[in-house]
Amino acid sequence: MSADQLSAPGTAQAPAPVARRSARPPLTRRLPRLALHLVLITVSLAMAVPFFWMIITSLKTDPDLASHPPGLLPRVWDWANYPEALEYAPFGTYFRNSLLISIGHTALNLVMASMAGYALARIPFRGSTVVFMGVLATMMIPTYTKIVPQYLIAKGVPFFGGNDYLGRGGHGWLDSWWGLIIPGALTPFAIFLFRQFYLSLPRELEEAARIDGMGEFGIYARVMTPLVKPAIATVGLLTFESSWNNFLWPLIITSDTELRVIQVGLSAFQQADQNAWAYLMAGTTLATVPMVALFLLAQRYFVQGFANSGIK
Amino acid sequence: MRTHTSALSRRRLLGLGAAAAAGAALSACGGPAPQQGGGGDASLRLLTPIFDRADGQKLLTSLLADFKKDHPGVSVQVDYTEYGKLNEKLATSIVGGQPYDVMLMGVGWIPPFVEKGVLADLGTSRSELESTYNPRVVEPGIYEGGTYGRPILLDTRIGIYRKDILAEAGIGAPPKDMTELMEMGKELTVREGGKLTRAGVDILSNDLRQTYLPVMWAHGGDLFADGKPVFDSDEAVEALQWMVDVIRTEKIEDYGFTQKGAVVAPLIQGRAAMMIGHNDMWRQASESAPELIEEDRIGGFMLNQRRPALFQGGTLATMSAKTKHPEQAKALVEYLSGEKVSPQAAEQRGNIPAVLSAADSEYVRGNKLISFAVDNLDHAFSEGGVPAWLEIREEFKPALESALLGKSSPADSLRGLAETAEAIIAKGA
Repeated sequence: MSADQLSAPGTAQAPAPVARRSARPPLTRRLPRLALHLVLITVSLAMAVPFFWMIITSLKTDPDLASHPPGLLPRVWDWANYPEALEYAPFGTYFRNSLLISIGHTALNLVMASMAGYALARIPFRGSTVVFMGVLATMMIPTYTKIVPQYLIAKGVPFFGGNDYLGRGGHGWLDSWWGLIIPGALTPFAIFLFRQFYLSLPRELEEAARIDGMGEFGIYARVMTPLVKPAIATVGLLTFESSWNNFLWPLIITSDTELRVIQVGLSAFQQADQNAWAYLMAGTTLATVPMVALFLLAQRYFVQGFANSGIK
Repeated sequence: MRTHTSALSRRRLLGLGAAAAAGAALSACGGPAPQQGGGGDASLRLLTPIFDRADGQKLLTSLLADFKKDHPGVSVQVDYTEYGKLNEKLATSIVGGQPYDVMLMGVGWIPPFVEKGVLADLGTSRSELESTYNPRVVEPGIYEGGTYGRPILLDTRIGIYRKDILAEAGIGAPPKDMTELMEMGKELTVREGGKLTRAGVDILSNDLRQTYLPVMWAHGGDLFADGKPVFDSDEAVEALQWMVDVIRTEKIEDYGFTQKGAVVAPLIQGRAAMMIGHNDMWRQASESAPELIEEDRIGGFMLNQRRPALFQGGTLATMSAKTKHPEQAKALVEYLSGEKVSPQAAEQRGNIPAVLSAADSEYVRGNKLISFAVDNLDHAFSEGGVPAWLEIREEFKPALESALLGKSSPADSLRGLAETAEAIIAKGA
């Protein structure tokens, strides 16, 4: 578009600027919005600063890290921290494992939790409230208290890892992909979130589908679930994030380095006597990349998801 | 050494482990002898919280390849973990009925695991061990007359000072005792407009318990006597009072001036003249301020009042009481704690080799804090001593903090701590 073309409409509608000015709300009405933006910018900065600090620290040399007061920017941008950090542990293997486990958890959780959520929200059955309360109750069990029982269950799975039909004699799911993926494949929070979303959908949709002869699974899969995309994005993102950051369970259940995950690799930078801060920050930056990318892709639905479910 | 703390998880998991241990998974107390098995082929499982980095894994792989040359039928499956999660790994493997054959663990861990029947008596006499290690280094592996652990590497908490800062103040030698340390600390403290810019003595960079204990030992106090806590004795109270004086009375350091795990200790930055710290400070200086090493500006000194004392932590090799291959497992324990592996493991971690033969090695002599510690191991004290130690030790920090923050007197803090410890011991009895 040329400059002439750009200026033409303005020339033809001379009073427009005046009209625009008069259309603007008065300052007194804009002030609260301005204040809101200021607050939001401040909070955003507060949230972003640790992230930027992590990246900046990952590029500092040891003497730079030791300087007091600490400088904002590195005196020498030490990009070598990244390749050197990757030599601390087999990060390629760890990254692959984390990715596979996170994708596995996310896919299974989306399928199973959406089904469970749908059933609790849309299919009346005796005891549904009790079942739902039971699901909520499991969210309140602290993780650490579950570790040992969960370990024993994984070890005693029948017919796996040399176990007999009573789950004896072998190691079950220990040191296996089964043990890494199945125990985290369904979360009560995801069931809760899906239930809330399915509850918010109008009953008329379901009834119309039923009149058209659609079965229950068809209503779930073809009518209702496509309408809860924000829930899918939210659950998907939260599950992936939680799985990606999981440290203790993969450490406990595996002894083979080939099955270890990225968070275990990052712990190599943190030892009781010494922390390799620059490497730790470099490794953490790299480990954060998939999560940031995923959030950027799904952020619109993610925000809707939280807003619609009433969780803020 | 590790006195690595993961308070919540450790306590809970250990509790759970102990509960489950009451069942079929664990046998009764007393550290049974391992099941008898002959030599020959065996597949051993080794759990290690050291060697966990890539370079450490590479080193261990090569060391185990050498072990296999002498024991061709023995294969070793290594499970690498870190100290912070060692207890969880041990607890789950034990209650799961799949204990490791050989386990590396820290000082203070032997009594709890012996009492649970997890560890086997290695059957090595004290005198035999003392031909390889300093007698003080042997001590943490011995419990109720049995030898359950052999040391691989050590770490220490000692007095560390900046020679250049003392010289600037006209002080020619480090403090001889805790009284002099306090006096020098006062003299070397610098405040600008009321704000602390240089602490005369830094007592906050190290884990608070690991700072207090050598101070307590130097004052003549002890942790336990006949299995009962005595860390509320007059000597122990005096030691905590010394720390309170550093912070509250003489204001040599402000609480919050630094903390354990800070990127760099104030001593390296010139923001502290002296400190009670880890021998690892040498490595930290060589990486962050190499001029301190090149110009010989860092030295060690003993904490001393009624007796000289340094804190000794370490990693020990132990054998499972449940191993099906006791002969091969014992051979692996001896190899890992022997003269070949110990120096290499220590160097890889930046720690102190446990074996006497490494005392004059190039690595030890090239690190003045490590060589200082090695030369003073006769004055080493170790924490632990009772089966409930792993739970009791988590109670130290809040009690010490309470005194340092002025919420309670040193005597009250330690009395409360001793009562808590007695309750924990009684619960486990």
